[in-house]
Amino acid sequence: MFPPWLAGGLVYASALSLTAGGITLLYITTRTFNFAHAGMATFGFYITYIFYSFRGGNLYQYFPLSFLFGSLLGIICYIGLNKPLLRRQASTITLMMSTLGYDLILLSIIQMLCDYLSYTFKLYPRRVTMSAYDFEMFRTSAASIISPIIAITILTLLHLFLTRTKFGTSMRATIENPILASASGINSDKVYLMSWVIGGGMAALGGAVMSLTMTGTPVMGMTLIAQMFAGAILGGLESIYGGILGGFIVGLAEYVGIYYLAVMVGPWILGYRMALPLLIMAITLLLFPRGLAGIQWSYLMESIKRARKGVKS
Amino acid sequence: MRNIGDVLKQNLMKREVIISLVILLVLTYLAISYGLSIILSTLIIFSIFSIVTLSLNLEVGHTGISQFGRVISVIAGAFVVGAIPGRILAFLYGLPFGLEYADDAVNYKVVPFIHKILEKNIALALGFFLFCLVLAGLSGALIGWLTSRPAIRLREAYLGISLLAFGDFFMWVGHNWEPLVGGTTAVFIPDPFRIVWGYRIQAVAFTFLAIAVLVYLFIERITKSPFGRTLKMLRDSPLVSRVYGKNIVKIRTQSLVIGSAIAAIGGALYVIYTGTCTAIGFTRLTWTFWPWAYMMLGGIGSNIGMVLGVLVLTVLRTLIILYRKSVFGFLLLWGIDPIWLEYTLLGLVIIFIVLFMPYGLVPEKAETVLPSGRIKAILESVRKQSSRTPEN
Repeated sequence: MFPPWLAGGLVYASALSLTAGGITLLYITTRTFNFAHAGMATFGFYITYIFYSFRGGNLYQYFPLSFLFGSLLGIICYIGLNKPLLRRQASTITLMMSTLGYDLILLSIIQMLCDYLSYTFKLYPRRVTMSAYDFEMFRTSAASIISPIIAITILTLLHLFLTRTKFGTSMRATIENPILASASGINSDKVYLMSWVIGGGMAALGGAVMSLTMTGTPVMGMTLIAQMFAGAILGGLESIYGGILGGFIVGLAEYVGIYYLAVMVGPWILGYRMALPLLIMAITLLLFPRGLAGIQWSYLMESIKRARKGVKS
Repeated sequence: MRNIGDVLKQNLMKREVIISLVILLVLTYLAISYGLSIILSTLIIFSIFSIVTLSLNLEVGHTGISQFGRVISVIAGAFVVGAIPGRILAFLYGLPFGLEYADDAVNYKVVPFIHKILEKNIALALGFFLFCLVLAGLSGALIGWLTSRPAIRLREAYLGISLLAFGDFFMWVGHNWEPLVGGTTAVFIPDPFRIVWGYRIQAVAFTFLAIAVLVYLFIERITKSPFGRTLKMLRDSPLVSRVYGKNIVKIRTQSLVIGSAIAAIGGALYVIYTGTCTAIGFTRLTWTFWPWAYMMLGGIGSNIGMVLGVLVLTVLRTLIILYRKSVFGFLLLWGIDPIWLEYTLLGLVIIFIVLFMPYGLVPEKAETVLPSGRIKAILESVRKQSSRTPEN
């Protein structure tokens, strides 16, 4: 159904949209740029890999487990690290550095886990090609159909949760104005915990999806964290939907854009793949320093209309 | 006049002195049990990272720029030293110097020729070394100026993330563009320390340590000057500095240019020490996050703290590497390599500092314009005057 480059791009874009959405969610609730997203995503992939290699069966049935484990990691990070710092009203940089420390610990645990798996169970966890275990659907890899569905489902669920439930409403209230929300009796603690649960889960799920289009390594998340942040920044770091959209755009642009560039310029450009999302991010930041969500669309349209009229008259 | 006992007691109880003494003891023990070479290599790594961390502290601790792209300027220094001085020598002596210089099949033949020339000519070796440093400093200043362009526009977190991403980008450029520094293969750096062959590591250690001391004195001089106080004012309140008529854009640019130039010298020293330049070795983990950890341990904003932070963590890393078999050998039973404990240590250190010691080992001291004795005297006289005049 899809050509292979588009199939890979869809999987990659879905994974980036999940992770970038998680980063945006954590930033707008707790002001934390979560570096630990790298470790959480890698852990999500390894949970799927471990369960698949021991129990077999369908790959996708272990994705919920990844999500749960990511949530657990998020809860640990919130209770152990983020909560005391938020209570102390630490600066953005301090919050960022604390998650970096957590990420390094996660990275070392992942590396040790890999050593353990390869020594005791004779597995090869350092270079995993998960797409080999994928099945075919409509004459294309199942991942390219299922992962966008996963991303859209998560987006829909998140939207329903935020707009239709009472807790979601209180969460939005806390995002809008934390002081006013806590004055009207909303427990901001619970809101922050919930955002770590969702954010961590999305990170792990994103990592699990990510492994379907690229080689799974212990440093997979670490190498991709810049792209995740690029997606979140493109989205504007103001609404979760913006983050999800930004991640999707960055991911798709990287795959599809580099494909067309390679056809036009030559295959040597494939090595500079990661320059594309950075270029998009840099241009967006230069034109709109607050990202896509920060653009005032109505104002923009109005000014375009006005410019057109000016040209006519 | 205070007697000597009081002075000693006051100074010995300081945290930095105690830590330095403990580290000195550890180092002496290591020297006795493992020989001097391990001390010297630790000293070299310590000097290089001190330079990088001091420059980071100038930008983060003194100016308040969220510099998450330290690796950019380190890469600038390292790649320039990998690419240009060797080519110039190759050109002068009629060896292949064009794009093919960085090709590994050519490079491993060309560099030994240059080594033979450098071995004999002490003036050339010295000039080569200084030229490398100057070149690295210039390219670092250029990169610092380039990164200062977005630094004026973006808010702190956005800036940090952008710089981080661009650090990765530069690494990939070096990794993919072979004529620069050999791409996936390493390019060899002509070694100016060949002239003291046999005592190379000693010479390198003392030279680098001297450069680190010079950088420390330079940064100490800058931060104690009116310019340094302006930086701190800018960090604490950009509004106030604007009120006082300071040009924020200009000050930030100056700080970034100076800091980047110094960091680039650190990168140049690293590639000269290792003798090779591999693009993939300049990861953001080693050259951005490690210096951040050193800086946080030392205490953001204090210069002597940087040196102490680097010293403590470098020695701890060395200890982990040395004792990974004997102390953490139980991990090998499950097939786990204890080398990963390095990351655990780094993570734990960062978390511990953030949670329990937010000001680091040596908290930043307030810079005063006058010596503290004179300020006390002035305060005293003001108090006397105010007590003499009746309040109404």
